Amino acid sequence: MQTDRRDFLKLSMVGAAALSTMSGGATLSGCTSSGPASGMKLLRPEDVELLRALTPAVMKGKIAPGDTASIDQTLQSFDQLMVDLSEPVVAGVLQAFDVLSFAPTRGLTTGQWSAWSKASLQDAESALARLRDSSIGLLNAIYAAAIRLIISAWYLIPENAATTGYPGPPKKVASVAPAPAPAEEAAP
Amino acid sequence: MIDLSTVTLGSTTDPYNKAAERGWQITDASQITAPIELEADVVIVGTGAGGGTAAETLSQAGLSVVLLEAGPLKTSSQFDMQERSAYRDLYQEGTGRGTKDGGMVILQGRSVGGSTTVNWTTSFRTPPETLKFWGEHMGVSSCSVEEMAPYFEHMEKRLNIHKWPQAPNNNNMMLQRAAEKLGYPWATIRRNVRGCLNLGYCGLGCPVDAKQSMLVTTIPGALDNKAKLIHHARAVRVLREGDVVKGVEAEALTPNVRGTTGQTITVRATRTILAGGAINTPAVLLRSDAPDPHGRIGKRTFLHPTTLAMGIYEESIDPFYGAPQSIYSDHFQWQNVDTGPVGFKLEVPPLQPAFAAGFYAAAGEEITQSMDKLNHTQCMIALMRDGFHEDSQGGAVEIDDKGQPIVDYPINDYLLEGVRRAFNVMLEMQFATGAKSARPAHKQARHYVSWKEAKAAVAELDVAAHKSTIGSAHVMGGCPMGDDPKRSVANSDGKFHHLDNLYIMDGSLFPTSIGANPQLSIYGLVYKLSSNLLTQFKA
Repeated sequence: MQTDRRDFLKLSMVGAAALSTMSGGATLSGCTSSGPASGMKLLRPEDVELLRALTPAVMKGKIAPGDTASIDQTLQSFDQLMVDLSEPVVAGVLQAFDVLSFAPTRGLTTGQWSAWSKASLQDAESALARLRDSSIGLLNAIYAAAIRLIISAWYLIPENAATTGYPGPPKKVASVAPAPAPAEEAAP
Repeated sequence: MIDLSTVTLGSTTDPYNKAAERGWQITDASQITAPIELEADVVIVGTGAGGGTAAETLSQAGLSVVLLEAGPLKTSSQFDMQERSAYRDLYQEGTGRGTKDGGMVILQGRSVGGSTTVNWTTSFRTPPETLKFWGEHMGVSSCSVEEMAPYFEHMEKRLNIHKWPQAPNNNNMMLQRAAEKLGYPWATIRRNVRGCLNLGYCGLGCPVDAKQSMLVTTIPGALDNKAKLIHHARAVRVLREGDVVKGVEAEALTPNVRGTTGQTITVRATRTILAGGAINTPAVLLRSDAPDPHGRIGKRTFLHPTTLAMGIYEESIDPFYGAPQSIYSDHFQWQNVDTGPVGFKLEVPPLQPAFAAGFYAAAGEEITQSMDKLNHTQCMIALMRDGFHEDSQGGAVEIDDKGQPIVDYPINDYLLEGVRRAFNVMLEMQFATGAKSARPAHKQARHYVSWKEAKAAVAELDVAAHKSTIGSAHVMGGCPMGDDPKRSVANSDGKFHHLDNLYIMDGSLFPTSIGANPQLSIYGLVYKLSSNLLTQFKA
C-alpha cells in the first residue's frame, strides 16, 4: 500500500515535470505571445481567449456564456488584480495559463483539443472538472489558482459583492470625528 | 440584518496627519533621487510586531534608531475598507503569496506596521505548553511562563489588550453555541483595541485607529523619540566587515512597491536588528551569505496550516461585520503536546465577499449559489499547531535567483490527517447549531444537508494537499532561537550565532509554531530581547 502510493507520487511528479517542460517549450517556440492583449495591462491574447471560455463556467449562475459585457468586465477586473500581485506570482500564473493554452498540454490536461474560442460551456466545465479531479497536484494547483482569481475578480466589483447580501462598508469622510468609545471598554 | 453602509466615519484620529507638527522624520524612499547614507546606534529592518516593539524600547532609552520598511506608509486617512485597495496596498504580493507548490496561500502584511496593520487583533500570550516545549526540547533559556510574564504584562498595557467586552458577532456566536452544545470548552478572545466601533474591518486597515497596531502605537512612540522611518526601502543584505555586522544596505522601491528605482539606502549602525517577519528575515540572511555551518537558516518555518468549513443558516450571520474574532476553543489543541495527531485551535474569520469567495475555492453554481447566501454564512477555521511532533518539521524559506523568498512547505500525511479530522469537527459543530447546509474546504466537496451526509462524504473525500483548501495567516520560525548553534540560528537573546552585532527580533525566532495567533508572542519576546540589548549599550 505504502509502496504503491510512493510510486504513484513519483509518477505524478514526472507528469508534472513533463507538463512544465512542454509548456516551457510553448514559450520558447513562440507559440504564446509575449505582449499583453489590446486593452489589457498583463493578460496576453491567449489568456483572454482562455478566460473568456472559463469565466462563464466558474461564474455559472452569474454570467451567461453569451454575456460578453459581463465577461469583459470580469476580465478587466482580473487584469487589474494581476497588476496588484507581485512579479513572481504573475509569472507563476502566466506559466499556469501556458499549460492550459499550449495546444498539446491543453488537450492532455483539460481534454479541450480544439481552441478555447471553440469551447462550449459544457467543454469549459468538463475542463475545470478534469483539472480539479486530476491525480497530479500541479493541475489541482492550477485549477485552484485559476478559479480563485476569476472568482475574486468578479466579487471585487462592488455591484457584484452586493449580490451576497453584503451592504458594503461604512462611508469614509475625512472631516467627521469617530463615535466615542463604548463606556464599558477599558484595559483591565 | 445589519447595514453599516449608511454609517459615516471620520479619520481625524490619524496620528500621521500631525507628523510635521510632531517633528517626525519620515522618508518615502520611492521619491529619493540620490542615495541615502545614515549612521545610527541601531538599524531595524521591518516595522511589524517585532520592529515596532524594538524601535520604541530602544529609542525611549535615547538610542538613535533607523527603521527600514519595504512596504508603503498607509494610514487610517487612506483606509477605505475596500477589499481591492487593502489587498493591493497592505499585503505581501497583493495576497498572492503562496507556498512553492501552490498548496497554501499565505496572508502576511506589508506596510508600515507589518501584519499588525491588517491582523484581526487576537491577542494570546504564548501558551505555557509551548514555552515549556521550547525550554525542554528546543534549548531556549529563560522562557518560562514566570520569566516571560512581566514582558507580556508590559505589552498588554501598552497595547490596551483586554477581553472583548461586547457581544460576539453571529459568526463567533455560532462557535460559542456549538462548543456549548457539544461540551467543548470555549473562551472570549482578548483584543488590542481602544475605542473599537465593532465594525469588522481589522483586516483591511482599521479606519478609526482603534486597533492598537504598531502603526498607531510604538512607531509613533519611536518617531516622538527621534527615530527615523524610511519606507519603500527593501533591505537587500547586511553590511559586514569580517565577522562583524555594520549595518544594512537597502534598495528604494517604486511607489507601488512592485519594482526598484535604482536608488540605495545605506545605514551604518552599531547594532543591526532583523525584524522583517519569518519569510523576509531568513531571506535577508540568505542574500547576505551569512555563515550557516549547520544549514539552519530558513529551516523550521511554520505556518499554522489552516483549513475551514462554511455553514449556511436560516438566520442572518452577517459575517463581514463585527469584531472578526472574539471566541475560540482549544478543545482539540493540547490533548497531546508532541505526541499523537496534530492539535488545532478553532476560531472564525471575517468574511468580506472577495475574501470569502477565495476561501470557498469552488466553481460554478457551488460557489455562486453559496455566495448568494454569504449574509447567512458562518465560517469555522482550524489552525493546526505545526512543529511539535517528529512528523511536523515545517517548511523552508529559500531564495530564487533574483533573491526573492520562496516558502517550500509540502503538506504531508500527518497534517492531512488533521485536515480530515478538523473537517469533521467543524461540520458537526455547524450542524449542531442548526446549519441548513455545510461544506468543508475541499475542491471536490459540496454543501451537505445533514451531519450524517457530511460525515459519510468526508470519509470518502480524497484529502490530498492540493484538493483540500489550506492557507496560512501566521508565518513563524526560519531563524529558530536556542543555545545550541547546531540546531538554531540565534541564541536566546536573539543574537545571530555566527556574526557579531546582528540580532533577530521577530516571529522567525520561534522554534515551533505558537499554537495561538502569534502577535502577542512577538511583542512579549521582542520587548524582552530589546530590553536585554539595552543593557549592552549601558555597559
